[in-house]
Amino acid sequence: MAEVVLDEVQKSYGRVTAVQDFSLSIGDREFVVLVGPSGCGKSTTLRMIAGLEDIGAGTISIGGRVVNELQPKDRDIAMVFQNYALYQHMSVRDNLAFGLRNRRVPEPQIDAAIAQAARILSIEPLLDRRPRQLSGGQQQRVALGRCIVRNPQVFLFDEPLSNLDAQLRAQMRLELKELRQRVPTTSVFVTHDQVEAMTLGDRIVVMKDGLVQQVGTPLALYRRPANRFVAGFIGSPAMNFMDGRLTMEDDRLIMTGDGFSLSLPPTILGDAAPTGQHALCMGIRPQHLRLGGPSGPGQLGLGGTLMVTEQLGDEQIVAIRVGDKDVRIAGVDPDLRLAPGTGLEVSAGVENLHFFDADTGERLRATT
Amino acid sequence: MSVPTAVSAERHAAGFFEALAPGGRRVLFGLAAVAICLLFAFPVFWLVLTSLRPGFAVYYVHRGTDFTLDNFHDVLAQEIVLKALFNSFMIATLATLLSLAVTATSGYMLSRFKGPIPNTWFSLIYVFRCVPYVSWVLPLYFVTRQLGIFDTYWGLLLPHVAVHICFFSWIMKGFFDGIDPSMEYAAMIDGCSRWGAFWRVAMPAAIPGLTALAILCWLYTWNEFLFALILTSHETPIITVVMAQFVHELGMEWHLMSATAVVALGPALIVTLFGQKYVIRGLKV
Repeated sequence: MAEVVLDEVQKSYGRVTAVQDFSLSIGDREFVVLVGPSGCGKSTTLRMIAGLEDIGAGTISIGGRVVNELQPKDRDIAMVFQNYALYQHMSVRDNLAFGLRNRRVPEPQIDAAIAQAARILSIEPLLDRRPRQLSGGQQQRVALGRCIVRNPQVFLFDEPLSNLDAQLRAQMRLELKELRQRVPTTSVFVTHDQVEAMTLGDRIVVMKDGLVQQVGTPLALYRRPANRFVAGFIGSPAMNFMDGRLTMEDDRLIMTGDGFSLSLPPTILGDAAPTGQHALCMGIRPQHLRLGGPSGPGQLGLGGTLMVTEQLGDEQIVAIRVGDKDVRIAGVDPDLRLAPGTGLEVSAGVENLHFFDADTGERLRATT
Repeated sequence: MSVPTAVSAERHAAGFFEALAPGGRRVLFGLAAVAICLLFAFPVFWLVLTSLRPGFAVYYVHRGTDFTLDNFHDVLAQEIVLKALFNSFMIATLATLLSLAVTATSGYMLSRFKGPIPNTWFSLIYVFRCVPYVSWVLPLYFVTRQLGIFDTYWGLLLPHVAVHICFFSWIMKGFFDGIDPSMEYAAMIDGCSRWGAFWRVAMPAAIPGLTALAILCWLYTWNEFLFALILTSHETPIITVVMAQFVHELGMEWHLMSATAVVALGPALIVTLFGQKYVIRGLKV
């Protein structure tokens, strides 16, 4: 068990910067998820921790030891790959034993470790099969087994669930959580799927274009996204954004945009309220909007025309057009029959509004 | 007017195959396959026939039904033929082993690494591939003479290996391209060095391809004539050259040449029969 510390880590390929000034301290037994769209540098960061990529600048240490110059085999880590990366010419048992044999662990000890890992992952009947005789889920379990037999200081996961179908992915997510409880080890998990990030991570690192956008617990990221990118990336369906300008009228802040005008409490942005010509962007999560007009003083109303509804069985997601933007409302009663083209009023509590600078995308107000 | 005629003829032809019952179609394909096989098998059949005829009857195959094994007896009694068979076998086997050792690493490098060294190597191979094979022979003759390896194993082995590297590194690169590199990364994390990951994980995964290449390489060297003709002499006789020496100023001994060819066909046939499934499997990768 160990801490992993990345200090000002950088990586460039020619003129392209893949990772820039990445600093993060991962606590012992902490499960950190790196999430972001493809090409954001998350896999490169993971591969630098693993030693599969050279570190451009900065230092990475595992368990208090700087590992910049160490070979992958000397870093005491284990890694699960997207396409399982099982040794096709070996049986499952030999796949599990490979790393231990390389470290000259005595055979009885290897057998015991394999038996234990196989029991934890329920792969005992598969031990004598070849990887290609296994299903995707079984192969992924073997890949996990290969990690846990070694009892390394750190687990690294490189999008391990993305080759599985949706149902199996949900099941493997649960199994991973269970595995964490049984084998608590410092882990770094890379994914582009925000649901995986939210459900698995103790902390999440959101990345974009090689830069860390925000680091925090799943709830902190959901409730207080640091910028518009994080706000749009975390949460499903994605947050609604509406652009507009603020003006001060009779002690009220008025936000005006295409197709709407909202009267906001003057203190909503504290001293940061950029009135006048300054453009800003308001964000509301679909879950925080509900059908119907404002029911109290802390509520805001928006009017629009119903465009489409998406039936999910336990809820409907409704999209209304406000100006030139579609605004989605989640959690609508699935039995409610709504005809496209109907005029609809929706409302939200002011405490659920997020404001971002229209130019920089930075958050303007800390919402509780 | 001609266009509609052509179209209708095409339709008619297509209609002919469609009109055939599936069984009929199969028979037609079967007949075509047999015809093609006969076309390729006939020269071999003729070769075997000639090898079994007495020398005087070779030109008059329609006359008489004399068959004899004397030709084989005569051929195998010649020391040079036995020596040539042995040399050819050794050269083919050694060239295969050497070529595989070099092409496996060279193909792996081309597949996995980027940078000035692989790029230069790639360009070099490409340039040498563009040079016609025949034009290598004369310079190689002078080079082997200069190096003092003319008419030795090395004198023939090195040129063969050089040619194989140029032609087979590409195929080898293709095999390694088809193998997931994360398997090697996993091995490196599991305690292997880069070399260890290549040797213990990538190479076993490339075995179908390697086997196919080994067979092609062996057959190619066994059958090769031009290098053997120019780069060897009496010290290191090679079977393809010895075979051709039955054509001389006193005439052509077709019966002996055929018998030698049949003898030389044996190992090639064994290798082909043994290896065809590997070749097909390997080249499918």
